[in-house]
Amino acid sequence: MIDFVGKRYWYFLFSAIIIVPGVISLIVFGLKTGIDFKSGTDMTVQFTPNVEQSKLRQELESLGYGDAVIQTTSEGDFLIRLREISTQEKQALTDNLTTALSSNVTIKQFAVVSSSVASQTVRYAVIAVVVAAAGILLYITFAFRKMPNPFRWGTCAVIALVHDILLVLGVFSILGWVAGVQIDALFITGMLTVAGYSVHDTIVVFDRIRENLTKGISKDFEEVVNYSIVQTFTRSLNTSLTVIFVLLGLFLLGGATIHYFTLVLLIGVTTGTYSSICNASQLLIVWNNNEWGRFIGRKPAPAAPARAR
Amino acid sequence: MARRNGLVFVVILALFAFAVWTIVPINGTRFGHKGMRLGLDLVGGVYLVYQANFSENTSTADMSAAMDREVSIIQKRIDTFGVTEPIIQKLGDDRILIQLPGFTDIDAAKQLVEQTGFLEFRDVELNTSGGVVYLKDYLSANVTDFFDDNETAPRLFVNETGQGSDYGKFVAFMNKVNGVLTFTDTNGNPVDNATLQKYGDMAAWIPARGDDGTPLTGDLLTDAQAKLGGNLGTTPEVDITWNSKGSVIFDELAARLYNPTDTYSLDHALGIFLDNNLLSAPQVRAQAFHGSGVISGSFTVASAQSLANLLKSGSLPVQLKSTPLFQQTVSATLGTDSLTRSLRAGIIGIAIVMLFMIAYYRLLGGVATAALFVYGAISLTIFKLIPITLTLPGIAGFIISVGMAVDANILIFERMKEEMRAGRTLEASVAEGFRRAWPSIRDSNVSTFITCIILYWFGNTFGAFMVKGFALTLFIGVAVSMFSAIMVTRTFLIALIRTQFKQGVLGSIK
Repeated sequence: MIDFVGKRYWYFLFSAIIIVPGVISLIVFGLKTGIDFKSGTDMTVQFTPNVEQSKLRQELESLGYGDAVIQTTSEGDFLIRLREISTQEKQALTDNLTTALSSNVTIKQFAVVSSSVASQTVRYAVIAVVVAAAGILLYITFAFRKMPNPFRWGTCAVIALVHDILLVLGVFSILGWVAGVQIDALFITGMLTVAGYSVHDTIVVFDRIRENLTKGISKDFEEVVNYSIVQTFTRSLNTSLTVIFVLLGLFLLGGATIHYFTLVLLIGVTTGTYSSICNASQLLIVWNNNEWGRFIGRKPAPAAPARAR
Repeated sequence: MARRNGLVFVVILALFAFAVWTIVPINGTRFGHKGMRLGLDLVGGVYLVYQANFSENTSTADMSAAMDREVSIIQKRIDTFGVTEPIIQKLGDDRILIQLPGFTDIDAAKQLVEQTGFLEFRDVELNTSGGVVYLKDYLSANVTDFFDDNETAPRLFVNETGQGSDYGKFVAFMNKVNGVLTFTDTNGNPVDNATLQKYGDMAAWIPARGDDGTPLTGDLLTDAQAKLGGNLGTTPEVDITWNSKGSVIFDELAARLYNPTDTYSLDHALGIFLDNNLLSAPQVRAQAFHGSGVISGSFTVASAQSLANLLKSGSLPVQLKSTPLFQQTVSATLGTDSLTRSLRAGIIGIAIVMLFMIAYYRLLGGVATAALFVYGAISLTIFKLIPITLTLPGIAGFIISVGMAVDANILIFERMKEEMRAGRTLEASVAEGFRRAWPSIRDSNVSTFITCIILYWFGNTFGAFMVKGFALTLFIGVAVSMFSAIMVTRTFLIALIRTQFKQGVLGSIK
């Protein structure tokens, strides 16, 4: 049988390696927020005939939009982000661009979020995340209420969840300053979905550990966990693969609106599967064997056999 | 057992047939629902969220009543656009959400909605000796009270000598606050002195009241029609019809303001104001009008028509803050493009999932694929019949739920394999596989349900239709997937075992 549990500290190290850069980026640069959270204007504009980005930038600067962010979309349109503008300003802007660049302007998508609603979105997003975390924690405690230490199982599942969330946040923080990717309400949606999925996946593995413990297949807790992981491994892999297939389809072909939303899910589902096997279950052992000291590198692991709890 | 399974099998097939009949063809009409309801990110359209400008001490009951009226008035106005399925909703206590799928002229929509549409009639204020009161009179150093102290309503100053588009534009309100005369704009902010000085020659307009003190406003109208009038019959105007009370007041005013001469004088003018801007100030040249009247002004045919529509829909009980909290418009081409792209991506993704399942689980995978078709048809039927507005993230949510639906099957199949390895018979393994996989399927999906509920709340609170769409489709998708994994896959599988395919099933489990 494959030994999944023996290398647990290597998994922890691997997790640290993929998470730490993102966390550093989060602390140093934070996340780039889109208009949903800080108000402003987002517009997707098509020019016929097409114009050069540098010229467009120059023109926007001369019109007083020096801080405009301009990106090109995969369709060759421009995504322009400005401060909040009024109907008149929008009209003046399109008129001026049409004359100055002698090109026809088509506004494919136009969105303005006012500052009062943006601050509210931030507040509601925070509430949603907190309530979701609390709800999931409560649910896990409930789902494992028949186990000797429901709180312990819950905590391990939540640590795995935090692991997944941190990874996604970190990746988007890096994408923010590397590629100008901004986070919006859909990003929050994606994050909460990832949270749900991460727990979904962890519960399947935990469920099997619970079943095997009740069956009493072994007195050694580590062995029970390892056995359970082996039993559920094909399932975990196949499930993730199917979800990843559909997400990859959406990510590669699905269009700009949900491009980064599906990326959130893609990263989240992958790490969600990884963390339920390599973090949540392994942490159960660490906790059970009371290896926390070794975890932070202070004392050797106790040689005593586990108590199968 | 055999008969029961046969019965369930038939029921599932019937359900599937019903679902397919409901959703095919994709644009067909069933039970009064034509096609799928698509969000404006997929068909193009306008999305607006407005905040109403209530004063601080408005009671919740008053707010709620005013908002309900506000919604129905905006509904009436939007109806003149001929949008197929507009959504106009109250959002929270004091917000209104407007969705116009298929209608992409955001500026026209905003203009139509933002107008309060408050029509009122005013005459000029006269001092004790019968002279017209002007703004400059109020700006004199020693004036501390209204010239006509019977009238305590705010005075309105407009640019009545302005040319072209400047004509009749609002200048200032004057009100007495704590005994001090104060000039403000429509938002209650003070107006600077230079502006006031500039418009010193403008008259002070006060509400035109009937003998019982009731002001003449658009609330007393029963109808408004655009027509061509004037001496040549070529000038666009709006014909108005008063209700009985309005008719009485109008005639009382006519008797009072009647100008027997041919010369224009302000003290014989009846000012017609829409949202504090003067439309026109005609002379009253008849002593009675018997319930009808004409609003003239510098109208085009289109603007006369839109004024008539505005007056018919009535005035908004509470003003909307003039910048929407949230506004979005998606062009029809971008919408269609998004729809085709996401559908194509979804179909490819789902096809790969099906191929993978068949390749890995062979006949079992085939059963799962068949179940997936039933699952898809039922989900889409639910989307169509509720109906659920499908958005781009909503389609993504549905497609992701397909991946999750397969998870239940995978759990069950893996479990069956284990049971077979443990030496059970095929029938026993199938039964055990379902029985034992169920708690995992149930427990694991609850966390997704929790997230969906929270997301729905999050999206619904401030009208983020994309978030809401995703939460709804994912929730329904996962719920149906649990049903399909347990009922559909099991029934198909048991039916299969009873046929000559038993060996095939056996082969694909081992």
